[in-house]
Amino acid sequence: MVVPIENYLLLSAAVFCTGLFGILTRRNALMFLISVELMLNAANINLVAFSHYHGSVTGQTFSLFTLALAAAEVAVGIGIILVLYRNFNDVDVTKATTMRW
Amino acid sequence: MVETAFELVPVIALLPFVSFLIALFAGEFARKMLPKGGALPGILATGGSLLLSLWAFVTVSGGKTYHESIVWVAGDGTFDLHLGVFVDPLSAMMLVIVSLVAFLVHIFSLGYMNDEGETGLPRYYAGLGLFSFSMLSFVFADNLLMAFMFFELVGLCSYLLIGFWFREQGPPSAAKKAFLVTRFGDYFFLIGVVGVFATFGTAQFVGDHSFPHMAQQALEEGTTEGITTLFGLDPQAWFAVLGLLVLGGVVGKSAQFPLHTWLPDAMEGPTPVSALIHAATMVAAGVYLVARMYGFYAMLPTVLAIIAFVGGFTALFAATMGVVKDEIKQVLAYSTISQYGYMMLGLGAGGYVAATFHLMTHAFFKALLFLGAGSVIIAMHHNEDMWDMGGLKERMPVTYWTFLSGSLALAGIVPFAGFWSKDEVLYTALVHGMENPILLGAYAMGLLAVFFTGFYTFRMVLLTFHGEPRTDTARDPHGVGWNVKFPLVVLGILAATVGLVNMTPVAEATGMHIEFLHQWLSGPLHATNAHFYEELVVGSFGEAAHLSPLLPGAVSLGLALAGAGLAWTLYSAPSPARHTEKLGSAKTLLFNNYYQDEYQVWLAEGVTLPFARAADKFDQGVIDGVVNGVSSVSLFGGSRIKRIQSGIVTNYALMLVLSFVVLLVFLGITGGWF
Repeated sequence: MVVPIENYLLLSAAVFCTGLFGILTRRNALMFLISVELMLNAANINLVAFSHYHGSVTGQTFSLFTLALAAAEVAVGIGIILVLYRNFNDVDVTKATTMRW
Repeated sequence: MVETAFELVPVIALLPFVSFLIALFAGEFARKMLPKGGALPGILATGGSLLLSLWAFVTVSGGKTYHESIVWVAGDGTFDLHLGVFVDPLSAMMLVIVSLVAFLVHIFSLGYMNDEGETGLPRYYAGLGLFSFSMLSFVFADNLLMAFMFFELVGLCSYLLIGFWFREQGPPSAAKKAFLVTRFGDYFFLIGVVGVFATFGTAQFVGDHSFPHMAQQALEEGTTEGITTLFGLDPQAWFAVLGLLVLGGVVGKSAQFPLHTWLPDAMEGPTPVSALIHAATMVAAGVYLVARMYGFYAMLPTVLAIIAFVGGFTALFAATMGVVKDEIKQVLAYSTISQYGYMMLGLGAGGYVAATFHLMTHAFFKALLFLGAGSVIIAMHHNEDMWDMGGLKERMPVTYWTFLSGSLALAGIVPFAGFWSKDEVLYTALVHGMENPILLGAYAMGLLAVFFTGFYTFRMVLLTFHGEPRTDTARDPHGVGWNVKFPLVVLGILAATVGLVNMTPVAEATGMHIEFLHQWLSGPLHATNAHFYEELVVGSFGEAAHLSPLLPGAVSLGLALAGAGLAWTLYSAPSPARHTEKLGSAKTLLFNNYYQDEYQVWLAEGVTLPFARAADKFDQGVIDGVVNGVSSVSLFGGSRIKRIQSGIVTNYALMLVLSFVVLLVFLGITGGWF
């Protein structure tokens, strides 16, 4: 069964926009992290789809790197969220506004 | 021997500098170690300078000159700045004059300052030492910049010494006035120095690479290599501008009209200082500078005519003011201005020898007159009003006879020094003025001033020494010691005899070669040779008219005698009356010095001050306004734009996304994606 490339791209765009929507509307920092994961994985879908389309494994290899990167990013992000909670007793990103003008 | 004499020339200046240091530091830290308040180191130093100067003088007489300089600031790809020693007949003569007068003034100060129990003596002798040092260094300076530096030091020292009694009201303000007025002239001098450097790339007085020589090349042969004239002027005009700029400093220092106003006020200083300032240092510096760079001026007929006219005018102008003064030092002050006017007249008329001659004779007789006046002032318990004196002739004979010798010299009575030199100045002005109306006008004013000089000189002598004593102090004056009489006697003899070195009328009448000063100044070095200067002057003014010096000499002698005679008829009575009332409104004018001070104060307060205020307003309002405006726009803008830093991460993310979208749309439109 051959799935046309457009379907992959549409899926990827839908996932990416979901992630973007999450970042722009959510106030909970954990939801931020989840949204970022969504966006990253949307990119991964693209990589794998094109890799398959061109018949080369380079894109798939890159997607592995992206996964590793995402794991690292989550580790750092969770760390930031912990500190945020310790300082503000909350994980609401709109509360942590001490570093503005 | 020859080399040693010349190598020791810098020591001539350094000795007084050492005495300055001694008086300064010992006076501050070890006053007990300093006998006579610093007078002895000063006397020894200037005495040593005098001996070394005489040695240099004798060596120059042997037909040698000396020029040595060191690079003080090395220029990278441009000119260097030098400090140098230049000894030729002119500077050798001036070295002797300055060190002799300084030496005698130091001795006189023992009587005038030490014996009178003045305080602050180390400060006084430190000032004298620095003054002598500056002037001596100025004399042997070999370039214009070095001359300028010591010119300024001389001005500073005069400020310090005029304001010596700084606790009283008059001296500090007189010192400030002297400093500011001469500084006004020196400002032009400074621009002139910069201009000379910019034009010639050198400020040396002598040598192949010297500015008078380069100027001569440019004017006579048209070789303008290495010469940059500014403002598109041709060399002749531009050199005249440079000459006039340097002349600004000369007019200020030598108290020529209109910058003469500081000099009468400078009488507030101690009398020995006045003697030093008027005879050998400060005021002489201006005229000496013109003589030093005469090779430059001699090629510029316009500048020469201006010098001559200013000099002649000043001679007459100051002499008329001296006629009505009541204080002995004031009369002498105006006579100084007038006599320096004669020197300027001589230089401007092309009489290099005549002016130098008058500079020399004047140094001796004016130092003598000031020291004599100082002696009278000691005797009168520091009362300077001549109407309180009278009859001092019997009570202080040494002072009287020496003072009389100086007065005869000042008035120009044969055979005293002033006659010969003043006569030669006037004669030169006349022979060159036969063709040139400006010079002739200057000559006429100078000639008329002879009459006034004779009058005020003898009015001063008669009021001070003759007649009956008019006060108790004059009846029983304070005695003066040897330290006052010795300088007076030395200078008295010189004032009577020094004129004999250059008796032009006698030489002309008898055909004898007795113009020794003329021969001396026509010395070994061609570039500063009096004959060479004469050729240049002939190039500027044309050939001098052939006149016998006898008749002009007789006329000026007759006028001097007439002035003296008028003074005799008016003031020789036992108790003379004040005749100034008869002058009517002219008297008020003369007493107020032609309102020169008033108009200069008006210039400062009525013109300069509003102008300065307007400039300040412009600066504060427009210039600063623009700068402040620019900064307040960015301040205001910053205070508004900073609001987008809300601290909410979501907003930042939104902005990132929006910006990215905008960028995409922009790239899409310009890239033709749609």
